[in-house]
Amino acid sequence: MHAVRMETISNLRKISDTVWELPASHKEGMRVPARIVATEKLVREMDEAVYQQISNVATLPGITRYALCMPDGHSGYGFPIGGVAAMDVREGGVISPGGIGFDINCGMRLVITNLTVDDVRPHLHQIVDRLYERVPAGVGSHGFLKLSHHDFRDLVEQGARWCVERGYGWEDDLEVTEENGCISGANASKISERAVERGFNQVGTLGSGNHYLEVQVARPEDVRDKELAEKFGITIPNQVVVMFHCGSRGFGHQVATDYLQRFLKVMESKYGIKVLDRELACAPFDSPEGRDYFAAMKCGLNMSFANRQVILHRIREVFSEVFGRSAEELGMRMIYDVAHNTAKLEKHAVNGKQKTLLVHRKGATRAFGPGHDEVTPRYREIGQPVIIGGSMETGSYLLVGTTSGAETFFSTAHGSGRTMSRTRARKQWRGKQLQRELEARGIYVRSTSWAGLAEEAGPAYKNIDEVIAATELAGISKPVARFTPIGNVKG
Amino acid sequence: MTPRTPITLITGPLGSGKTTLLRHILDTRRARIAIVMNEFGELTIDIKVIKGKNVQIAELGGGCVCCSLLGEFEAAVTEIIKNVAPEIIVVETTGLAEPEALVFNIQEALPQCRLDGVVSVIDADMLVRFPELGRTTRLQIEGGDILLLNKVDLIDPVKISLEAKLREINRTAAIVRTERCRIDPELLFGLGRGEEMTPPRHTHEPESESFAFNSDETFARHCFERFAESLPASVLRAKGFVQFADGTQLFNFVAGRWELEPFESDRTELVFIGKNITRQKSRILHGLHECQIKNDEARMTNDERMTKPE
Repeated sequence: MHAVRMETISNLRKISDTVWELPASHKEGMRVPARIVATEKLVREMDEAVYQQISNVATLPGITRYALCMPDGHSGYGFPIGGVAAMDVREGGVISPGGIGFDINCGMRLVITNLTVDDVRPHLHQIVDRLYERVPAGVGSHGFLKLSHHDFRDLVEQGARWCVERGYGWEDDLEVTEENGCISGANASKISERAVERGFNQVGTLGSGNHYLEVQVARPEDVRDKELAEKFGITIPNQVVVMFHCGSRGFGHQVATDYLQRFLKVMESKYGIKVLDRELACAPFDSPEGRDYFAAMKCGLNMSFANRQVILHRIREVFSEVFGRSAEELGMRMIYDVAHNTAKLEKHAVNGKQKTLLVHRKGATRAFGPGHDEVTPRYREIGQPVIIGGSMETGSYLLVGTTSGAETFFSTAHGSGRTMSRTRARKQWRGKQLQRELEARGIYVRSTSWAGLAEEAGPAYKNIDEVIAATELAGISKPVARFTPIGNVKG
Repeated sequence: MTPRTPITLITGPLGSGKTTLLRHILDTRRARIAIVMNEFGELTIDIKVIKGKNVQIAELGGGCVCCSLLGEFEAAVTEIIKNVAPEIIVVETTGLAEPEALVFNIQEALPQCRLDGVVSVIDADMLVRFPELGRTTRLQIEGGDILLLNKVDLIDPVKISLEAKLREINRTAAIVRTERCRIDPELLFGLGRGEEMTPPRHTHEPESESFAFNSDETFARHCFERFAESLPASVLRAKGFVQFADGTQLFNFVAGRWELEPFESDRTELVFIGKNITRQKSRILHGLHECQIKNDEARMTNDERMTKPE
């Protein structure tokens, strides 16, 4: 990846300190301008392909207002990671797997405890070691849940509720999961046997790559908004929380692969859609292929909600065993679960008119502000919680959506975003040494792969604080608290 | 000494023909091959599967197996080598994967393996129809030693120079036009473990012309390394074993990238495969003759080594 000098993108116009625009005249076929929401510094750090990709996205049928890229954007398959694209489904708007990501409903979940760092430190190795055993990580890892293919098909239609009904979690967890942990319209008859084969034994697993589970601390000086923090139950100095990041594993990947292939067959011949880059394969939302993918993709959403639900259950078990108290007594309440690889039908005002838009968010988090009726009642007054994970060395954030986020269809960043390729990171750091250095700084890490650990070295990512500051400056999300890691299970 | 197990990586966008290539390899190659995939694909329908710790293994007949990953790639490959001892490992990546991380894994984390080559299957029709190359496709082209410009039967061969388009992204790779991935397996693979040298065959495809070289002489290592370094671009693949003063080495060359490793043999045998290379034959053979050490010189080199241990 090569960072680009802004001067070489001669068409890039500064709209404000946090908005940069490539006008629709930048490239033939662009239907709307492309906008990058970031500070100048972050824009300069983006790789060149982001410009190419975001302007390609602007050519897709039905795209409304702008093709957007969030402050943590970097190039991905077809769409940039950090890409947001809202398609007008009544105007031939398309659905594209490359705009959702293959790890469908990759997302974040946050749970608090009533423990402090002093309570946890003496048991930290034990906690992390047990989490490492109970929440399997790695490429082909299998969960402890033994499901038949038939059970799995039920699970992907019912999501986290399926798990809670079987004792994996609390009823209350569902209330604080996006879509209550079960998006309606998931249809298991639209997924292939091969997708089931890849997913049925992966419920309750972290996976590999940048997926992780972290024990973190809310240091008093890092609580940015005390009042909001209290509403979330972050009230004790140096309170310990657990945050994790994972998705729909091989299942979501297979669903995306199946439909990319199907779309490639019909896109041009049946629907006359020409895209600049084959990786933008898509179909009209309102077509048999588009609707089938939407129903299959929702199975991916539910699989991921269920996956995170079972992992939460394991985390509660581990803490409960280590401290000899129930998870209820340890105050292990879930704060929120948020997806950052999705496409959802949402109502947005466009030029004063309410429109139904299919909002693709790939490596971008929905961030509805206070009062929005799609925010769960518990948080409606304060805005939808947003969880943004940083690299394992730096920190992560809890934020809330804002009422000023309409320009990005109420979307914000999802992480810190890579600054270099995984391979470059592997060449630069050695996993084992990294583990020792982190341990010296008070962070205990367990990983299935040393090389994989090196990929996740802090400097391989953008500075999370800069990303968060950019989202705040742009008015698309508001930080509540920053969390510092003390223990990490890396996938 | 057993040579390392060669690994061939097959990459390329969705639908470009990777599975077709695998079928072609199984149909044409006689070696014991282990195919490694993320998950079983169309190759293994209705086949009995044996479950291991890091892989599931399915017999494909003729000593070949198909393996799907359960655990980490490195652990799975180690398990395959231990349990199946294949002569060749072929890894098929998904169309969405970027090959570079896997290449790095093979080179850094699997000392018992040798990266024989990265084969990128590129759909020629796709290159014609889509004006921009996707990021993942670009990385797949960049990472290839051999680019199969596949499905050439679907395009008008006169109008466009697709090779030039690929060349812009990858300056050194061997580019071979194919229909249904029908490529000479001798060109695709280097020399594996315990394999016999296959004598050169007469073919009708210009990129598969080949000739052999045999010798009982000893070769000078530095001279041979310079020779390998300066092989003309028309040589797409060269392989065999070379006798040096300090022992015989297995030689594998693909599109400018080459390696030597210890090997058991008491003579030198090499084969060169490439595009119209019979024209270059005399030049290449001359280069080899230059590197032969006459027997008394070889003895002297050996004596030197004895008196000046380093």
